[in-house]
Amino acid sequence: MSIEFGHFALVLAFALALVQMTVPIIGAQFKNDTLMRVGEPAALTNFMLVALSFMALTSAYIQSDFSVLNVWENSHSAKPLLYKITGTWGNHEGSMLLWVLILVFFGALVAVFGRNLPLSLRANVLGVQGAISCAFMIFILATSNPFARLDPAPMEGRDLNPILQDIGLAVHPPLLYLGYVGFSVAFSFAIAALIEGRLDAAWARWVRPWTLAAWMFLTGGIAMGSYWAYYELGWGGFWFWDPVENASLLPWLGGTALLHSALVMEKRSALKIWTVLLAILTFSLSLLGTFLVRSGVLTSVHAFATDPARGVFILGILVLFIGGSLALFAWRAATLTPGGLFQPISREGALVLNNLVLTTATATVLIGTLYPLLVEAVTGDKISVGAPFFNLTFGPLILPLLVIVPFGPLLAWKRGDIWAVSQRLFWAFGAALVVALLAFVMVDGASVLAALGIGLGVWLVLGALTDLVVKSGFGKAAPSVVFSRFKGLPRSVFGTALAHAGIGLTTIGIISVTTLETERIAAMQPGETVEIEGYNLRFDSLRPFTGPNFTEDQATFVLSRVTGKSLGEVVSSKRLYTARQMPTTEAGIRTLGLSQLYVSLGDQTPNGKIVVRIWWKPMVTLIWLGSLVMMVGGTVSLLDRRLRVGAPMPRRKPAVQGGVA
Amino acid sequence: MFWILAALLTFVAAFAVLRPFAMRQAPTEDARAYDIEVYRDQLEEVDRDAKRGLIGQQEAEQARAEIGRRILQVSETADGRNEKRANRRVTRLTAAASVLAVPLVSWGLYVLTGSPDMPAQPLHARTAAEPADASIDELVARAETHLATNPDDARGWQVLAPVYMRLGRFADAQTALQNIMRLSGETSDMKAALGEAMVGAARGMVTAEAEEVFEQALDLDPREPKARFFLGLSRAQEGAAEEAQTIWRGMLENLPEASPWREAAQQAIAQSGGAGAADRGPTEDQVAAATDLSETDRQAMIEGMVKGLDEKLRQNPADLEGWRRLIRSYIVLQRPDAAKEALVRAVAAFGAETPETGELKEFAANLGVTIE
Repeated sequence: MSIEFGHFALVLAFALALVQMTVPIIGAQFKNDTLMRVGEPAALTNFMLVALSFMALTSAYIQSDFSVLNVWENSHSAKPLLYKITGTWGNHEGSMLLWVLILVFFGALVAVFGRNLPLSLRANVLGVQGAISCAFMIFILATSNPFARLDPAPMEGRDLNPILQDIGLAVHPPLLYLGYVGFSVAFSFAIAALIEGRLDAAWARWVRPWTLAAWMFLTGGIAMGSYWAYYELGWGGFWFWDPVENASLLPWLGGTALLHSALVMEKRSALKIWTVLLAILTFSLSLLGTFLVRSGVLTSVHAFATDPARGVFILGILVLFIGGSLALFAWRAATLTPGGLFQPISREGALVLNNLVLTTATATVLIGTLYPLLVEAVTGDKISVGAPFFNLTFGPLILPLLVIVPFGPLLAWKRGDIWAVSQRLFWAFGAALVVALLAFVMVDGASVLAALGIGLGVWLVLGALTDLVVKSGFGKAAPSVVFSRFKGLPRSVFGTALAHAGIGLTTIGIISVTTLETERIAAMQPGETVEIEGYNLRFDSLRPFTGPNFTEDQATFVLSRVTGKSLGEVVSSKRLYTARQMPTTEAGIRTLGLSQLYVSLGDQTPNGKIVVRIWWKPMVTLIWLGSLVMMVGGTVSLLDRRLRVGAPMPRRKPAVQGGVA
Repeated sequence: MFWILAALLTFVAAFAVLRPFAMRQAPTEDARAYDIEVYRDQLEEVDRDAKRGLIGQQEAEQARAEIGRRILQVSETADGRNEKRANRRVTRLTAAASVLAVPLVSWGLYVLTGSPDMPAQPLHARTAAEPADASIDELVARAETHLATNPDDARGWQVLAPVYMRLGRFADAQTALQNIMRLSGETSDMKAALGEAMVGAARGMVTAEAEEVFEQALDLDPREPKARFFLGLSRAQEGAAEEAQTIWRGMLENLPEASPWREAAQQAIAQSGGAGAADRGPTEDQVAAATDLSETDRQAMIEGMVKGLDEKLRQNPADLEGWRRLIRSYIVLQRPDAAKEALVRAVAAFGAETPETGELKEFAANLGVTIE
């Protein structure tokens, strides 16, 4: 019964979302306080209902209730508990429910934390959130109902796609959706501002932390997805320019631009209209990503999804929201007043440049992602726009942007002095140059690109540190003063520095692994040894092993330095998931410092040997460590005191009237 | 119970909508007041930054002046709230409409999409239920769960194996039989059963692997009737009717009077009078059907099978074994011209100088079919 209860809760949530969508917005139009206040309890109850519904589905998965079609299709009683739980969202229907759960979660957060927003703004924001929930709930109920039943119930399920039976599924989709859907808050704020025709001062203050939170989650989600693909797909690629990946990169680029333009808007009241547009575009890109992945227009490494009838429905939602919001923008943007002025060389100017480059880069990726689909739709030919296109277009756009990143935070608002900033960055530049030269010499001049790239990464990291050093007045004041000033710096300054340093670390990782990686392929039998980059890898044994729902051939390797020092075992295996008869490779990965040794098993040769692929991936972990540092930066910035102040006034006024002061 | 819970939940949702209508709320602040509060906060921030030396004094002055101008601007704009007071009727109507909408929409939609009468069926509860009420599928599933945790329970496998055979789950039957032999040693009848499961999996075709298993069964017990029967069937499927008959006749000699295999062998002998070749060999159903046919009908049925094989080889000519069977079938049907034509087609398909062609030519020559 609990499963039907969950179904009912979802239907009820839809009914409530209808109310949330209409009543507060009508109230805001008629300036009716009571109607406007409906948004808040509606949003909270909605969250409760969808959470109930999600819990019901999860419990059906945990209990292997195969009378639920969705459970039967995607679960198996022999699956470990963790994968039974994560299997809830390891399929189309369940992941859409997770999407909606996160959407109403953000709605509830706005209701809870939005008490210090002007009432009409809050009502409109919650109304728009309600409209988005409505659209996706009816999509779920009409085309992808996870609560559909099966009678009579089979005794065993069809199991989850083995690639998804991984801890990655527990982390990647929730993080990614927190990011995707988090941008809906910025979107709702933008639409609310357009409906009202005015931008409250609180607007930018509100949009920035929400964008920041969404951006952080999205960063984590993308990084996690990349690492997952890296270790699970068996050949150690970390980014494929696959359309599904691009679908997550697009809102990330848009969101990064939004983050920076919201900063200008908050500090200087400038770029208002542009920020509103960016907020709309960023969430539109999230919706586009959802459409690309969920509609089934793509077939890719992301093996779950797909049904053409659903595609049309999501396309409808997409057209409605993107088209509607852009039309509203065209109609109402003129009512918003433009803000402060600034010189081209200034913090604002730098942020505008950042926005220009990021939006162009977004457009490039968008074209590269959609063009093959358009060609296929028009001519029927299947073409692929792969890494070469993106390396040729995205690379040249983004690399110069990275070069100028350290300048931005050091420039003053309104009017900056580029020469003074350059002098301050002199040390960072010099050090980066030295590192680049060292790298060049140490790798025997094999790759100029590698040296330059690593230098660029170091430049970003040191540039970010320079910002902290300069702002704490190092070299100008006594050490104790410097220390106390350093401690007193706003958290957002640390956040900026960390995020920019994180970008630098990721750059070093990407450049070094793409230019300096080495690979050995050998047909080996137990006892044989392969040497790679100063390490010896001896093939020790090949043994069969039986897991809970799979069988595998486990190859054990013994790793040692060429000098003889043993470094323990590396285990790599080939698995067969019995329920689906689907093979997967489980790579053996050993982290050595920042680098990794990646061992993957291939086929057996006729003479009884096994093909072993071994990669040396120098500094590869920096790619994801950098993303972690970016996330930490986001968190630190979110904790900034400034973002918590938001004007809780109703209490003050009576105090003044009462003459207590 | 479900409906009570659903009603309760609906009530909670409706209450959430109604609450703002029911409560008297303090009048809210003007939106401008919120703006001024934000600006005031910004001023404080500028002061903090200036004190820390993050921005210069001059910059701070400018920023303060700018924020001050914004505050003035806000104060000068008209109060946006004074025109319309809340209209009581609009409020009440909306309240009524939305409170009605929640139960109507939700119950209406749920009746359309839900299955309120269907209970949840957690697997654990189902396998723990009384066996008497359980369907055969459930019993099998229960045994499977038991064997998944106790894979060394030979008795369990022994119970399951014939059930699998009857349900047509031949692959599972093979696993079960292999487990039985792993646990309690190889016996001729288990080997023969394994072979039968393999034949079942190949839809009645005695494959080379199955044949091997039957041979092993005969190594253990040369009189094992099932293995002998199927070996005979294998010959028959290859078109060697006489060999098949020899095997079956030999079987009859050794079989005790009461053996159920007597009848099977006798029937098989009766059918195999020339009925040797077909696409994949006749399936059991077809053989059973053939016994009820008159001689001419039987001939027609066989020719139909051969025609099917011929068609299939036109579609997919890279099937050496298929060509062998086709050529032999035509010889059995006494149509040497057709056999010759088939050989020509096969040679065209494989190419003149390939080993397959050589093999086929040799095979055909043994049957008396030659081409230039």
